[in-house]
Amino acid sequence: MIRICDVKKYHGIPAEELKRMQDAHVELTRITYDHKPIHRGYTDKYLTVDFSRNSIEITDIDPKVKEVFTGGKGYCLRYLWDEVKPSTRWDSPENAITMSPGPLCGVTQYAGTGKTLLCSISPLTDTPFDTNVGGYFGPLLKFSGFDGLTLKGTAKEDVILVIDGNKNTISIETAPLEHEDAHVLGEELTYMYADDENDRKNVAVVCAGSAAKYSNIGMINFTFYDPNRGVVRLKQAGRGGLGRVFRHKNIKALVCKFSGVKADLNDPYDISIINQVGKKYHKEIHDLDNLQNGMRKVGTANILEVMDAYDILPTNNFKFGSHPGIDRFRSTVFIEKYLTQGAADGCWYGCSMACAKAADHFKLKTGPYKGQAVCIDGPEYENGAGLGPNCGIDDPEAILELNFYCDTYGLDTISFGTMTAFIMECYEAGILNKEITGGLELNFGNWEAALEMMHQIARNEGFGQIAGQGVHKMKKIFVEQYGADAQFLEDIGMEQKGLEYSEYNSKESLAQKGGYGLTNKGPQHDEAWLIFMDQVNNQIPTFEDKAEALYYFPMFRTWFGLLGLCKLPWNDIVPANNSETDEPAKVPEHVQNYFDIYYGITGKHLDTPGMLRMSEKVYQFQRIFNIRMGKGLRKNDAIPYRSSGPVTEEEYLSRQERYDGQLVDLVGFTKEQVAAMSLQEKMAETRKYREAEYEKLIDAVYPRRGWNLNGVPTIERVKDLGIDFPEVLEVIEPLQ
Amino acid sequence: MQLNDRPYLHWRQGMSIQDVIDERNFIYPKLVVKLNGKLIRKEDYAATLVAEEDDLKIHHLLAGG
Amino acid sequence: MKRVVKDDSLCIGCRQCEAACSKAFYKVEDSAKSAIRITEKEEGGYEITVCTQCGECAAVCNTGVIQPNAKGVYMLNKKECAGCLMCVGFCPLQIMVQCDDHLEPSKCTACGLCVKACPTGAIRIEEA
Repeated sequence: MIRICDVKKYHGIPAEELKRMQDAHVELTRITYDHKPIHRGYTDKYLTVDFSRNSIEITDIDPKVKEVFTGGKGYCLRYLWDEVKPSTRWDSPENAITMSPGPLCGVTQYAGTGKTLLCSISPLTDTPFDTNVGGYFGPLLKFSGFDGLTLKGTAKEDVILVIDGNKNTISIETAPLEHEDAHVLGEELTYMYADDENDRKNVAVVCAGSAAKYSNIGMINFTFYDPNRGVVRLKQAGRGGLGRVFRHKNIKALVCKFSGVKADLNDPYDISIINQVGKKYHKEIHDLDNLQNGMRKVGTANILEVMDAYDILPTNNFKFGSHPGIDRFRSTVFIEKYLTQGAADGCWYGCSMACAKAADHFKLKTGPYKGQAVCIDGPEYENGAGLGPNCGIDDPEAILELNFYCDTYGLDTISFGTMTAFIMECYEAGILNKEITGGLELNFGNWEAALEMMHQIARNEGFGQIAGQGVHKMKKIFVEQYGADAQFLEDIGMEQKGLEYSEYNSKESLAQKGGYGLTNKGPQHDEAWLIFMDQVNNQIPTFEDKAEALYYFPMFRTWFGLLGLCKLPWNDIVPANNSETDEPAKVPEHVQNYFDIYYGITGKHLDTPGMLRMSEKVYQFQRIFNIRMGKGLRKNDAIPYRSSGPVTEEEYLSRQERYDGQLVDLVGFTKEQVAAMSLQEKMAETRKYREAEYEKLIDAVYPRRGWNLNGVPTIERVKDLGIDFPEVLEVIEPLQ
Repeated sequence: MQLNDRPYLHWRQGMSIQDVIDERNFIYPKLVVKLNGKLIRKEDYAATLVAEEDDLKIHHLLAGG
Repeated sequence: MKRVVKDDSLCIGCRQCEAACSKAFYKVEDSAKSAIRITEKEEGGYEITVCTQCGECAAVCNTGVIQPNAKGVYMLNKKECAGCLMCVGFCPLQIMVQCDDHLEPSKCTACGLCVKACPTGAIRIEEA
């Protein structure tokens, strides 16, 4: 086991090297601004930067916007709506990236309070795509005076935006000599803008990586400086391809510098209640984390072997739910051999959950940094599952190296994993071959080929140019250019709305099929994660139950994104007496903690109905935004059959007892009838049943969400929520 | 015996809650166990036997991040 | 290592130590603001709870504002402390001080004022 006290500090960057890079900067514009102090969690100021015109503008946030959209994701969507048109695509000059930290963001006394929300028109989905990320940029942006930031236009050359929240200056500078990959660039800019070693924690950098420029699955990294290791750490605004938008604008990085973080910077109405809740929560983590999920030891990767045991771990492009090599990459392997233990790994102050684990001085085997000993953030569960078993890979060092390069290149690990799994299945099915891949033998399990494909994406060459487009666009290419069977690719391509699935096998949970399919931005698990509640616990057996869960959880979870909070501290630990409460699955005490913190900051009381209503305004607005962009209807909520049932004979036969049994228990055949059926007949009946169940689920969920059966929010619901603005009604009125 | 409102086909005389957990390979640590509506603590799983007509609920507290 | 060590059997529960500590650091006599705590045992007598300089508070800090000095006493740098209170929650003895009129918590610095105030010698400074 590696302990933090035994980890050597990382080497920094020589001062002369930094000077050479900084001397090459040319300042394009600079402003000085009045720093308005925060009042009850809000600055009520908004920053807009237009890189085409090198203009920096500060405006007041309309109180009506604050009332309806709360902050965070709500602000991101509202401000993005106003920048774009229905014809706007990811690379249109008017497309913008909006960011907002939310009113509770920057609280220091509680875990998971440093989240920034981002939104842009996605290159994968062509719709507004929100994503959330830790790291210090969002809180420091707010402490520097801004509740939101819009990045728009396109710079003529690579530039950085530098915000100094103490000197109250904002500048746009060229930055030609800095490297592009995040683990290097993040460090260069942190060192460059920090006054001294102690000041590095006050500098936050936002940057993508060299592959983000070329790939639709490009991601944006947010840094924080880790003084215990002496290294810059990376957190990811991972999903939706926003890194590609960022680099398309020729933004190399954003830097925000602010020193003086204290517990009262949000101007709390009642700091005492926040202190009490914070202390109680930290003690809970101290006492119980070891007995529960072990988040401080291994982060979310604690569930790798859990998912395997319950047949949910995606394996070989979601064909199966468990991997025979699990013992090679179960969480204990990472704890015992790779992840440094005992480190303060929170990605914002006060995060005692500290799930941002890291492998230190890991020696890379491939690529441009081959031979170097680096700090690797992760793997989180999704990375472990997506880069590992879903690609048939069970080598933990391969998982770590894939994780490292995804991060530094600015690629979404989840999309990369699911996309590579799709490519591997196509390769094994004979749709792709060595001629097409330029010699890459992309069989399941070939991690060297997966890595080389990733390096090709970063170099914009070879098969990497095709792979980097994501599953949705690859399906078209494989059909048109390589003669693939379109239906087969529709069935096995694990994307919906253009986004690659996240890493849970949903075949045996109808509610989770909805949790993935009936989402605003595509199949991530940010809205509703119901597999265990449904498949294992059987707590929501009826369509009505499932519909209720698919209303409650998306609304509940949206709230975190409005306020600038992380969801993990909500339920990756529970109070000792949680099982004695009425609804253990909702972790009532932790929900009350959030109400207390909300009150402590804003002075306003909140309860569950109020919370859900706050979220629903934004949730419905996002749905309508999708419709405005030409999507967001029932037809867009269809899911690939691989997520719902066995596509191939191999899959059916691997779980034959289960599927045969369901034909009797669920579909209504007799045992004798099933015994007399051919495999193809059984597969066809299974499919017919499962696809019909999904349609019935939609019929139950839409009305619960206040939508008509085409998935359009009703005017009545929109009016009730107070989001009946003329531009909103204009979109939905013709579709009622 | 009913496990999570589904018939449990592997019930046998003398089996404990811990036996059910082991057989079902329920390895996740945060479980809420109720036998006929009564909460059973972790330390009592091994000593608590399940009868054929019992209603056993083993709920996993796992709702994603 | 320098630290305060205790002998519960000598404690008479006069709480002079608590008063000395809170007066020194918070200018009030308030046991809730003392980094040494006296509690009555159920079976009679008193228990003294005082920082052992175990360093768990330092290990949990993300910005390293708690560091041992040359004598092994963990010192909290208030200027750099953001007041996240993780150290308070993680203290195995729950003996760090947090009060709402200060943004940062505080801890035992092994200054010895409590030792001087103790009439029975139940606490003393150990330097090993």
